[in-house]
Amino acid sequence: MKAIVIEPLARVEGHGGITVELEGDSIAAVRFDVFEGARLLESLVRGKRYDEVAPVLSRICSICSAAHCLTSLKATEKAFEVTVSPQTERLRDLLFLGENIESHALHLFLLALPDYLNAPSAIALAADRPELVQLGLRLKRLGNLIQETIGGRAIHPVNAVPGGFGKAPSTEQLTGLRTALLEGAKGSSAVVDIMASLPETDFCRANTVYAALNSPNQDSYYAGDKVVVFADGERTAVPAADYRTLTNEEPAPHSHAKHSSFRGKPFMVGSLARLTVNMRWLTAKLAIAAERLRLHLPSDSPMDNNKAQALELIGDLERALAVVEQLLDDGIEDERPVPVQPRAGTGTAITEAPRGLLIHSYTYDAEGTLVSADVITPTALNAASMETHFRRLVEQCPERTDGVLAQRLEMLARAYDPCISCSVHLMRKR
Amino acid sequence: MSKPTVGIFGLTGCAGDQLVILNCEDRLLELASLIDVRDFLMATSANDTGCPLDIALVEGAVLSNRDAEWLQKIRQRARILVALGTCAVWGGVAAMDSGADRSQLLREIYGEIGLGYDSIAAQALDQSVKVDLKITGCPIEEKHFLAAIANLLNGDPPVYPAYPVCTECRMAENNCLLIERGEICCGPITAAGCNARCPEWGVPCVGCRGPASDANPSSFLAAFEERGIAREAVAGRLKTFAPRGVQS
Repeated sequence: MKAIVIEPLARVEGHGGITVELEGDSIAAVRFDVFEGARLLESLVRGKRYDEVAPVLSRICSICSAAHCLTSLKATEKAFEVTVSPQTERLRDLLFLGENIESHALHLFLLALPDYLNAPSAIALAADRPELVQLGLRLKRLGNLIQETIGGRAIHPVNAVPGGFGKAPSTEQLTGLRTALLEGAKGSSAVVDIMASLPETDFCRANTVYAALNSPNQDSYYAGDKVVVFADGERTAVPAADYRTLTNEEPAPHSHAKHSSFRGKPFMVGSLARLTVNMRWLTAKLAIAAERLRLHLPSDSPMDNNKAQALELIGDLERALAVVEQLLDDGIEDERPVPVQPRAGTGTAITEAPRGLLIHSYTYDAEGTLVSADVITPTALNAASMETHFRRLVEQCPERTDGVLAQRLEMLARAYDPCISCSVHLMRKR
Repeated sequence: MSKPTVGIFGLTGCAGDQLVILNCEDRLLELASLIDVRDFLMATSANDTGCPLDIALVEGAVLSNRDAEWLQKIRQRARILVALGTCAVWGGVAAMDSGADRSQLLREIYGEIGLGYDSIAAQALDQSVKVDLKITGCPIEEKHFLAAIANLLNGDPPVYPAYPVCTECRMAENNCLLIERGEICCGPITAAGCNARCPEWGVPCVGCRGPASDANPSSFLAAFEERGIAREAVAGRLKTFAPRGVQS
């Protein structure tokens, strides 16, 4: 027997690896290994008062900290039946967009692109292609500027609290953001040019099931209460409260990664899933860009997640600008958070973190003390799909030399944009 | 002079302090020209995992035997070891279980299979190795990181404030959230350096930077008790990010 072991996996968040065991021509085992220590935050946060929960659980992950924070607040507010103001909803949407821009710029330019251009890192890449790395850093900065302006900090936002925001951004801050976004949008066409110039990575074809948040009335990473699963052209809605039907399997010893499935099939979450489930998000401009990138939905290539991220990156710059302009047109209110009155109950919130579906589900007692917390992260949901796609990749690789296989496996793992700190929070006792 | 060799490492944590480094967008390429980054798993796939290092920057807490062994190796390689962030300096949020039965916690979350995981109670770096410089914060402040690198390049040790967030907050002339709104604000006891970020946004300090060295926790607790806020409620908050820094 022969094993291909990639450990540790570089240029991803956290500590993981890939193991493929071959017996002659057949594949004996394929594993996505997770070596991240278990922090047990869902247990530790029990007994905390409701306003202490988001600051602790945002620490699950830095790259998705705004998503964890806002999903936490959404779950708490649902448990207490609190309705936030329309301005708060918009600001939260904007904070999500800022995080998505930052995360996608980081992933595409600093983590994924070096593979396509045969460089070990973006810093090495900058020697030959400084304009490319600088564009990525500029867009990343813009995402962070949004997060700083709305959330008060680029990582682990401080300004988002139960019921709203500590302080609304000022008109001057929003005007500054508008100027920066108008300037930044000029980089959009360069993003498409760069992505279109990359070599095709057509080495994993698979009939894939996709799952994403469905926002009924708007295109939002934040609003909405149901997941839509897209399988073989069919769409099935799963309400937030039934989220366990998507996450109902046992933990695995090798990965701290419970394997999620929908009707027995692994599913993929993230940018590609979002665009597949919500095809109307593709504006005319994005549809042209998709054509240039040879991205056809529904896609049978998980590597296309990189292209989908590029589309979201440029689309989100426009969406963020639209939100800022709407806030400026309506006039920003200097409002305080709406009062939060604890009550005993359970709240489940589903949102779209940069890497895909994120679920926080909490139960509180009548005093507003947390009784239990369940957090399901996108990388956890993706673990089973990743392993299935690794297997397809090996099956479809004509030349099974270690170097070729390892390089392709690493590129596919990175295309999923795994966040392994997050993934540790995926296994749950049933 | 040759460029100092640097390694950037993340033990168990959220990778937020490494992300702060990558968030130095405007300075990143300049920074990369001043130091020789040899080992940085999150950002590059060409790593020398055995070379001696002038500076090792380590974030995260020790939460597994794998972390503990890795930290020993890093210490052996490094001339200067810098603890980056509250987890590395104090243990961070994962350390708030001090005293809890770890097998029980593992069983609750992961079921019986969890008992087989490589998992130990969270430890700050200085509980097992010598730490030459501590930069606290959850995450660290970008300005502190850049200043530390500049200082280390010049051979001077950087100095961080010993006073609490409360001092910064007063200097910024913010309304006091404790006195005026009766909110549990950890500013009087938490290490300054964030320019009182949370109170600036009208939100009470959660203590994410760990305790200030010249703060007085008992008078702080007494001030809360005078306002009818239970000692346990305050102590619980103080222990969230840096339980080791809080006396019962």
